[in-house]
Amino acid sequence: MQDPYKVLGISSTASDEEVKKAYRELAKKYHPDNYVDNPLADLAQEKMKEINEAYDTITRARKNGAGGAGGYSDGGGYSGGYSGGYSGGSAYQSANANYAAVRSAINAGNLQYAEQLLDAAPTRDAEWNFLMGSLYYRKGWLDDARSFFQRAVSMDPSNGEYRQALNMMNGASSPYRQTGYGPPAQQGGCDMCDMCTAMMCMNMMCGGCR
Amino acid sequence: MFGYVRPLAPELKVKEFERFRACYCGLCHELGREYGLAGRSILNYDFVFLSMLLWGGRGDCGYSFRRCLPGLFRKKCVCAHTGALSTAAGQSVILAYWKAADDREDNRGLKRAAAGAVRLFLTRAAGKAAASHPDFDRSVRECLTALRGLERDGCESLDRPADRFAALLASVSSEAEESSRRPLGQLLYHVGRVVYIADAYADLREDLKAERWNPVAARFGLTVPDVPEDVKEAVRQTLFSSVDLMCAAFELLPENYWTPVTRNIVFLGIPDMIENVLAGTYTPALKRRPKSPAIGQNGE
Repeated sequence: MQDPYKVLGISSTASDEEVKKAYRELAKKYHPDNYVDNPLADLAQEKMKEINEAYDTITRARKNGAGGAGGYSDGGGYSGGYSGGYSGGSAYQSANANYAAVRSAINAGNLQYAEQLLDAAPTRDAEWNFLMGSLYYRKGWLDDARSFFQRAVSMDPSNGEYRQALNMMNGASSPYRQTGYGPPAQQGGCDMCDMCTAMMCMNMMCGGCR
Repeated sequence: MFGYVRPLAPELKVKEFERFRACYCGLCHELGREYGLAGRSILNYDFVFLSMLLWGGRGDCGYSFRRCLPGLFRKKCVCAHTGALSTAAGQSVILAYWKAADDREDNRGLKRAAAGAVRLFLTRAAGKAAASHPDFDRSVRECLTALRGLERDGCESLDRPADRFAALLASVSSEAEESSRRPLGQLLYHVGRVVYIADAYADLREDLKAERWNPVAARFGLTVPDVPEDVKEAVRQTLFSSVDLMCAAFELLPENYWTPVTRNIVFLGIPDMIENVLAGTYTPALKRRPKSPAIGQNGE
């Protein structure tokens, strides 16, 4: 097994507080929420597992007094907290058997097969549009994906899954969009930047309370 | 299509900026050594980014001080020759050659002649580069042929043409180490997608005037260069969705010597470029050694 301190990117003399901080930062980075429907989700999951294991190993070793600067430990309340997040794929189910097959093909990364199934589907209903959107999202064709999600939402506005997908495309939950410099002439009022800042501040507060 | 991938210089540390500059000079010297003056003339920032990404190992790179034409009186710090630089140099020559060939087909009159001259100028260098990167040469040719086909059919999807160019950039990841191949492929795919769409957006006015096919105009049915707010917002959304995927992929890459600079490019430089392209305030800088960031630049 790899050196757990190396995995967390800290030295073995780091204090318990530093270990926890390093762990939290990495866990935030590889959090399943950042890799929803992402073709690289499996790699992020592996990373997450590595980090969890490293953190568990360190806290356990420190608890047993087998080293560490502090000599005490507050018991790793964080450990393993995220590990469940990746398993199981989508929580939503399809009533239609054909669509269920499409969902599992998309989840497995078998995009060609999913496309064949969708092409052959007899109806073009809201779920069909949603699945086409998911398929294009996985391919990286984000503009087409957004159009399909929009169509799915307009055909079935009450469906939470479709709305969630469209919101994701609109960047509502993006962890990466920061307040950059932007173009030289900024307009006043509540623009995307303000909203992003508000989101980020809220996110930070949530992190602090945890 | 070149000059869109740059760091947001004011946010770099001074040492990181100096390193970036040394890498830029390193690529220039590499092009000069391998492909002569013709090679040097096509130096661009995008391939500096590529060489930093393809850099193997975590160690420091060696530096030396060397003279060149712009640095005749004062030697400049240049990073040492590596495989990554040579790969990036070869690929940039191939891409520039086919781009010139493509421009020649696209344009009439003086521009056609100019593109033809560039192509002729690069012929020898491109032949040499193609011999050492045959797969990339083939991908570029296939990609440009496919784009030409889409253009002829007046394709109304934005993603279809962007996918061709993006897949071309993603193919570069086959030169990387096994462990980073998948995230790098995904990262480069979306860099290619963003560059293609941003370039199309920036060319909107010119293309509409010359009645040339433009993917953004075709997708949103634009006939005048004044872009409505909702279209601008749609382009922004789709580009920033790509940025999200880029950032997520970047986090999965192993760290290397250049990570601080490449992180700046992905997380700050590209978003900044997008905002400026949408606002019409972006100038792709091509042939200039990066200058130190001026205070107050970029609307700070």
